[in-house]
Parts: sequence; structure tokens; C-alpha cells
Amino acid sequence: MAADLRGRRLTPLGWAGLLIGAIVMLAPLVWTLLLSLKNNAELVGHSEAALHAPYTLQNYAAIFGNSLTLRWLLNSSIVALGQTAGVLMLASLAGYGFSRLDFPLRRTLYVFVLLGLAIPSQAVILVQHQLFAWLHLHNSYPGLILPGLVAPFGVFFMTTYMRGIPRELDEAAMLDGASRWTIFWKVILPLTIPAQSTLAVFTFLGAWNDYWWPLISATRSDMYTLTVGLAAAQMNYAQTSGLGYLMAQAVFASIPIFIVYIIFQKQIVRAMAGTAVR
Amino acid sequence: MKRALAALLTVVALGSCTQSDHKTHIYLQRFFGECGAEYGGSIDVSKAEGECGIITTLVDRFNAENPDIHIDVNVVAWPGYPQLTAQVAARDPPDLVTMHEGVISDYASKGLVEPVDGYLRAAGISPSDFTEAARQGVTMYGHIYGLPWDTHGGLFHVNTALFAKAGLMRGGKPVLPNTWDELFAQARQFEQRTGKPYLIQSNVGDPAFAARNLYTYMMAQGAVLFPDARHIRLNTPVGVQVASYFRRINAEELGTRNMDTPAAIAAFVSGQGGIYPTGTWMIGSFEQEAETPGRPLYKSYAVYPYPRLWGEHVEYVSGHSWVVPTRKRTPRQREAIARFFKFMAAHNYDWARTGHIPAFKAVLDDPRFRALPHREDIAPLAQIGRPLPSYVLRQNAIEGIVGEEAAAAFTGQKSIPQALAAAERRVDNLLAQVD
Repeated sequence: MAADLRGRRLTPLGWAGLLIGAIVMLAPLVWTLLLSLKNNAELVGHSEAALHAPYTLQNYAAIFGNSLTLRWLLNSSIVALGQTAGVLMLASLAGYGFSRLDFPLRRTLYVFVLLGLAIPSQAVILVQHQLFAWLHLHNSYPGLILPGLVAPFGVFFMTTYMRGIPRELDEAAMLDGASRWTIFWKVILPLTIPAQSTLAVFTFLGAWNDYWWPLISATRSDMYTLTVGLAAAQMNYAQTSGLGYLMAQAVFASIPIFIVYIIFQKQIVRAMAGTAVR
Repeated sequence: MKRALAALLTVVALGSCTQSDHKTHIYLQRFFGECGAEYGGSIDVSKAEGECGIITTLVDRFNAENPDIHIDVNVVAWPGYPQLTAQVAARDPPDLVTMHEGVISDYASKGLVEPVDGYLRAAGISPSDFTEAARQGVTMYGHIYGLPWDTHGGLFHVNTALFAKAGLMRGGKPVLPNTWDELFAQARQFEQRTGKPYLIQSNVGDPAFAARNLYTYMMAQGAVLFPDARHIRLNTPVGVQVASYFRRINAEELGTRNMDTPAAIAAFVSGQGGIYPTGTWMIGSFEQEAETPGRPLYKSYAVYPYPRLWGEHVEYVSGHSWVVPTRKRTPRQREAIARFFKFMAAHNYDWARTGHIPAFKAVLDDPRFRALPHREDIAPLAQIGRPLPSYVLRQNAIEGIVGEEAAAAFTGQKSIPQALAAAERRVDNLLAQVD
């Protein structure tokens, strides 16, 4: 199928469609970048000023001038990396269990996990907040990381992926005397790297962009993540007098995500294609 | 990999460490933004500008003048109530919080904020020092529940250059209407002579705009908006009349349409209309435009309270205040809060430079305040301002509902009785659910 697609050439109409699509996708990003490079006073009432010079880096300097910005960046990194590592570990183990092991109530448990996909996080936010208050985990890294480890999508994703790996591999390893853990660690897990990459990127993106839970769990500014911190730094009602600063914040917050996507682009595309075909 | 993990854990551990000293620490939580890059460490309040700059400098100055106390500041995203509620639920609220006066009753009714009468006495502040609007805004259940910090409400921001072109200036001041008939006559004259709309309106995504207009002109006619704690009354002859006039402005194309707040602000500073009815908080930005050569508003800006178009000259207002969430505190912390109140009361003039009306009578009469641009014109807001009744909870949510339905009535998306009835039904349902 992939060979068929490679053999086809795009018609001029196709190219035009792609070009229009690219412009539509890129225009807001370029507009955001241009606004971020303008003096705030110049933009009050005249946002079209972004289309011409002079440009300035003063909004980016203001972000770094805030002594807490780097702390928020560190917090976001710890939370996003912590959640990503935790989800990969738990989802892989659970996926292996659901796809390979026979144990009582396996199907029922799996249905429970799938039900988790249908429950929006907002529906449980009150009890979740209360639970973390009882455990004295608010304003802490565990408090920010742990809720993200409940990842029914990750379990579903890894279970589905592992079901596609031939059982003969497990049986061959068993014949060679490998334990369950060795089979999981040395045989199955390496084969799930593309799926792990995809899940890692999705989890990292979700954790990095999360706003609601950090907003109510991290209530002290030194524990803010970047999303909450940058929102708190906005200066006036309707952000009418700091548009450039606001846009600089948006650009700054998206840079790590951009880097992650660039680094893992191949794995993401390959894994998505592989999953789709399967 | 192991090294990286160890480094990460070290960073986490170090990040969890706290500094100890011999000072009394007070946790202050506020909105108004973060501007440490520009003002961090500065204690010269006279050089600070804007809400963020002035409040940042004031707190730094308090810390410098009170070496035995340290105010730890937590800046939250506006308005900060989701975070405060979460902190209260986790039994870890801050010591001082900025709060809109209309919201205080939500917390006071459940004992989640303390009456501050004791702190005020210790600070040597009497409630009689407050302006009438400010005093009403923080008084409930027979107690004072916050240190009022300002009064803010709607103002008619005027482009005087366009008014002059329209022949609506007398003695260097814009002629504002005294009745609705005058308003329509002036608006038509304005539109004919300038080719631009008389009113700039933000009826999209700005429920406060429509709610402010409806509340103000219903209050002016003596309407009781909230007959009790569970009901609102808008679908009345008075409510229908007020909404009808705003509908006419749109029907006769005397006001801008389909604008949200940023679009309306942009339209005003670009000279695209005569009057923009918005709040005290925009004075600083508009004044800056008026002082910048080459701008459409250059030397062409004036601002006044909403004109009296019916009955009594009153206006719906709210205000910022400092409240003290309920929690265990040491006597030293209580004394520190009282000292902070005294300091903030003494610097209420500095805050009034933001454009908000001062909460203290002495500042209102202070020649320094009167000498600030336009303050002589807007000072009456402290007398004519009327907050919403404190016996009705959830005023923030109510304003959202009323504003949404009122905007639908003003713009013609719904019939006026239909919109006002919908507002009543939705607000009454909301209030019925309040504990």
C-alpha cells in the first residue's frame, strides 16, 4: 500500500490544496510569532503593526526577567517527564498482562479500564482534589504527577499493540527457559518501541499542556507549571495592554513541545502508520 | 540513565527545600499579573505605573519598611477564585487575598473569610473612613469583611476630537445626554457629522458590558433587582424599557456591532467611535494614548461616569478588597496583617493612580488625587456607586448569565421579554441550588 502511494504523483490541484492547507495551518503560528516580536504599546489598537518593522525581543526578555519562569519551566519538565515515564511503565506492564496473561477477572478488569476512557477528568476533579488534600500532596511533584499516571488510553493502546505481536515469540523464549519478566523485558518490550514513542509523545504533550489540575493543585507560585505560571503573569483584564508579551509567552511555552516533536517525528509517523495498518 | 535520574531526583529534592528565618511570614495571594522583571526590588511607589507595577512595588516597600515581617506573594491567574476555593478545600488558604467585593459574600456566608473589624481597629482604621460605595461593598452580616481597596465601575470614555467634529463640545467639555431622547438626538447628529458610530459596544464575549448597562439603568429607576436572596427580577416594565433603548441603538446603527472587548478597545483608540462605555481600569491605557503624539486619541480624551438618563443618578459598581481567609494564625501573624492593612490604607492614593476610584474619603478629597488627569470628573462615582446586595450569593456567575441574555436582547438575537425571562429563570435556578 505504501509503495502504491509512493508511486502516485500529486496533481497541481492536489499541490494547491496542500499549499492552502499549509498556509491555513501556519498563518496563526506566524501571526503569533510576529506579535511576540512587537512592542506592547504599539499593538494597543493596532495589531496590524505586527506586519512591519521595528521588531524587538523585549517581550522575551521580560519572560526571563521574571525570576520564576525558569522554575516553572523546570516544574513542567519534571511533571511531564515524570508522567511520561510512569505512564510508559504502567501501561506497558498492564498491556502485557491484559494481552498475554490469564488471570481471574481479566476481561472484567479490562472493561473497567476501558470505561475509564469514557469518564472525563472534570467529573472526578472534586474527589481527586479532596483525596490529594488528605494525603497532603498538593503543591508537590507527586501531587502533580500521580493523577496523570491513571492512563486508560495508554493501557488500551499498549494492550492492542502487544496483542498484535505473535505469541510464538513468547513460546520460543519460554522453550529457552526465559522467565515471564525476561520475556516482557527482552522480547516484547523492544518490539513495542514505536508504540512507546507514540504514547510517550502524547503523554508528554498532555502533561505539558495540562492547565486545570496544576491550577488547583499547585497553588503556590514556586510550584506552578509553565501553563499556570504564564497565565498568572498576564497583566490586565482581557490582556489588552500586553498582547506582545502574551504571544511571547505562547511561543516560549510551545518551544519544548516543538523540540520533542522534531526529535520523535519519525517514530510518531511510523508508529501511527503501523497502528493504522494493523 | 542512572546519572540523569539521580540528577533529576536531586533537583526535585532541592526544589522542595524551604528557607527559614526569624520573620513573621504572611502569604498574600493576588491577581494583577507578574511584573517582577520591571519592578522587582523597587520600593519607589511614585515611579511605578499600572496595577501590576504599583502593587508589586507596594509589597516590596512594605517588606523593606517592616524587617520583622515578610509578605510572600503568590500571583494567580485572574480572578484566582478556583485556586482560592481549592486552597480552602485543602485547608491551606493564604493569609491575604485580593477579592472583588461582589464575591466576598460567597465566602463570608460559609465562614471561609474572617470579619476584619479587629484588624481595622488594630490598624486605626474606621469604617467611616471608607467612601460610601466602598463601605457598602465590604459590609455584610453586620461586619466588615475586607479592607476596601478601590471602587470600579463603568465610565463613558469619550473621543473629544470626534465630539468636536460632531458639534457636541461646550466649554471644552463633551456634551453628554440627560435623557434617552437627547442621547438618540446626539447620536444621530454624531453619526451624520462624523460618519462614525456614537457608541462603541463590546456585546460579544463580554457579559459584564451588557450586565453593567442593564443593572445601572434599572437601578437608576429604583428597580429592586434582587427582591430576596433566591430571586432576580429583570423581566419587568423597567427592565424591558432599558433593554428596548439599547436595542434601538443597534437597530438604528448608532453603535458598533459584533465586537468583543479587545476589538472595542482597538476601535476606540483608533478613533472609530465617539463613546466607549467601559470600566475605570482602562483610564491608564487610554490616557497613555492621549499623551502620545500621532495617535488618534492624542489630546482628545475625556471620561465621565455614566450619565443620568432616568430617575436617580446612580451606577452599579464593584471594587477590589483585601480579605483574610479563615485559618489558624499566631498573634504575630494577626499583628502583621493589621500592619499591612494600615500600610495599604496609607497608600490608597498610589493605587488610585491606576484609574480606580479610591476607597478612602481622605484620598478622594486629596488634592494630589484631584490633580490626576480626569479624576475630578470621575470622582462622583464614589458617591453614586451602588454595589449589588451582599445577601445574594454567586454574583460573578449571575453577572455572566444576565450579561449573556441582556446582550442577546440588546442585539436582537432574542426578543426582549424572552431574553429577560430566560435570565430570570437561569439565575433563579442557580440561586435555588445555593446551600
